[in-house]
Amino acid sequence: MTGKLLAGAAFGVALALSQASFAADPVKIGFSIAKTGLFAAGTGSQWDTYQLWKDEVNARGGLDVKGVKRPIEFDWYDDQSDPGKTVQIYEKLITDDKVDLLLAPWGTPMHIAVAGVLERYHFPMIGDSAASSKLRDIKPGNIWFTTAVMPDRFAPAVAAALKANGVKQVAVLTAQLPFSLEVKSYLMPALEKAGIPVKVNEEYPPAIKDMTALLTNVKNAAPDAVLVFSYPSDTAVYMKQARELGIAAPFQFVMIGVTDDWFLKQFGAAADGIVTMGHWTPERKEWPKGKPFFDAYEAKYHEAPDYLDAALAYMSCEILEQAVAKAGLDKDALRQVIATDTFETINGPVKFEGVQNVITPPGLLQIQGTKMELIWPPDFATAKFKPKPAWPAN
Amino acid sequence: MQILLSGQLLFAALVTGAVYVLVAFGLNLVYGTLRLLNVAHGEIVMVGAYTSFWLFTLAHISPLISLFAAIALAAALGAAIYLGLVRRLFASPRLLQRLEANSLLLFFAFSIVLQNVAALLFQPTPRAYQYLDRVIQLGNASVTENRLVILIVAVVLCIAIILFLRLHIYGLAIKALIQHREAASVVGIDVEKVQLLSFCLGFGLAALAGSLLSMTEQISPFMGFPYTIAAFVVVILGGLGNLVGGMVASLLLGVIETYGVAFTSSSLRSVLIYGIFILVLMIRPQGLLGSRMIVR
Repeated sequence: MTGKLLAGAAFGVALALSQASFAADPVKIGFSIAKTGLFAAGTGSQWDTYQLWKDEVNARGGLDVKGVKRPIEFDWYDDQSDPGKTVQIYEKLITDDKVDLLLAPWGTPMHIAVAGVLERYHFPMIGDSAASSKLRDIKPGNIWFTTAVMPDRFAPAVAAALKANGVKQVAVLTAQLPFSLEVKSYLMPALEKAGIPVKVNEEYPPAIKDMTALLTNVKNAAPDAVLVFSYPSDTAVYMKQARELGIAAPFQFVMIGVTDDWFLKQFGAAADGIVTMGHWTPERKEWPKGKPFFDAYEAKYHEAPDYLDAALAYMSCEILEQAVAKAGLDKDALRQVIATDTFETINGPVKFEGVQNVITPPGLLQIQGTKMELIWPPDFATAKFKPKPAWPAN
Repeated sequence: MQILLSGQLLFAALVTGAVYVLVAFGLNLVYGTLRLLNVAHGEIVMVGAYTSFWLFTLAHISPLISLFAAIALAAALGAAIYLGLVRRLFASPRLLQRLEANSLLLFFAFSIVLQNVAALLFQPTPRAYQYLDRVIQLGNASVTENRLVILIVAVVLCIAIILFLRLHIYGLAIKALIQHREAASVVGIDVEKVQLLSFCLGFGLAALAGSLLSMTEQISPFMGFPYTIAAFVVVILGGLGNLVGGMVASLLLGVIETYGVAFTSSSLRSVLIYGIFILVLMIRPQGLLGSRMIVR
């Protein structure tokens, strides 16, 4: 009798334990990111954002899987900046590690590389740090892109912003890299259509260390706007030497790097008035989730989030979270919800058609003082464009 | 045409050349004296840059002061590597035969370890700070103070090194070692000691470059590699182990990069630099200043 009782009690305890462990069974989310190699310097903000989101969700009791809260557990690998390795990792995550969900790797080449894997295993994933009109060639169904700066949408927006702000002539400087060249290829016809002549049109290698000759030509042409389709290191070269030479154009656009934390730390007052690519700002009241995200990121990492990558990464996490709450972990249900629902994110509502986000408009940000204001498109703007003040001498 | 005569372009050429001098000198010194190809040279530049960045950010110490800390740290690192690893390469005659190839592998591994340790410790996100960034007028050129400082330090360093090599006993010993290793040991030079000295000096100079560059560039664990490449181009152009040749090559590259681009187009920058590089390798494989003028 005692034996039976004991056995019964043991069974009860075991059952209770197994139920408890079932309720708290973690949701395994897999991804790869470049921790080493060529792209590693660019991936920090995406990594930090993923960690922040995980901590926030776990602090709320876990990821809501159709009403059941389960803690998030990351299963990640370093893809060493190698698209081939990224493919292997995502394949392993799906087939071997048997993850419940996937987050995106960093960068356009990686997104394009994993699209085939997702298609093969019918595994849905929301992309974030990728932008190229080539993404539209990817078969829709298992991958979606949160970005609003597809080059063929972004370039016409730049031309429209220039025209609306009375720019009569421009100088265009372009780094010889795929994304910047792609934007330029859409910009030139858009400028022509807007009736804005291009006074200087030069390309330069991304490894450039000195732009004195280039910027002297720009200065002599005295355009109202200088558009520099640059990456972080040449962004810094432009900023230093445009200031030395006193490039006085009221509209100075510099593409990548401006939204990173180091930019304001390196250039301080000289950064005031610089326009850049971006569609998110915590300053917009109609996007109430934006400011809390900004504050939480700043509190955790003691620096501002990157307005591009961090925002996109967080948006992809928010969308995944909302989709899982509704559809659970079943891939078909999840795919259906992601493809048809509208999601509330820090960047306002997001809805996908095919692979792309069709609500968030491409925009321009401007540093005004130390704040990053959205100045384009006008319907979403948090501030009006302000002509760049003269470069500070000290 | 007017642009070619401008002080602005001259200043740009000199600063670009100065950066190359600073970055390449240490690499050349280590190769010249030890015949070791230090492909981790750029990573030592990175260590110097982080040292100054953190000391400035956390303790508001000027990079012009913290550069001494950076030099000391890198020299200590150099000493540890020399005593722990490099000496073993010299120890056995069998290993000595494959010294250059082995050193390439050793330092390649070391560069990866350093990059990734830095990425783990400091995160891979680039960092930067503002120091001496007023723009001042110098004749008809406007220059940022920190770039002027880089130029001045490079000039002072060049003069100091030339004097050191000509006048100081250890400088003469380094010269002797570069010219003829065996003969140097025959005439009583403590080869071991001189090697250690130039190894530490090479590392220290790389950190000095990093410390100065931290004022003008973004600092990241992966910032070093382009500098390693630039240093190799300079060193090979000037002649491997030819210290004065390296200085001349640095200046030449600075001039090509600024005046060449002004004459042609900025899209030709890499074509010009590597075109000249290949041309020199074809016509004068021993480098611009030739093998007979090893050290002046």
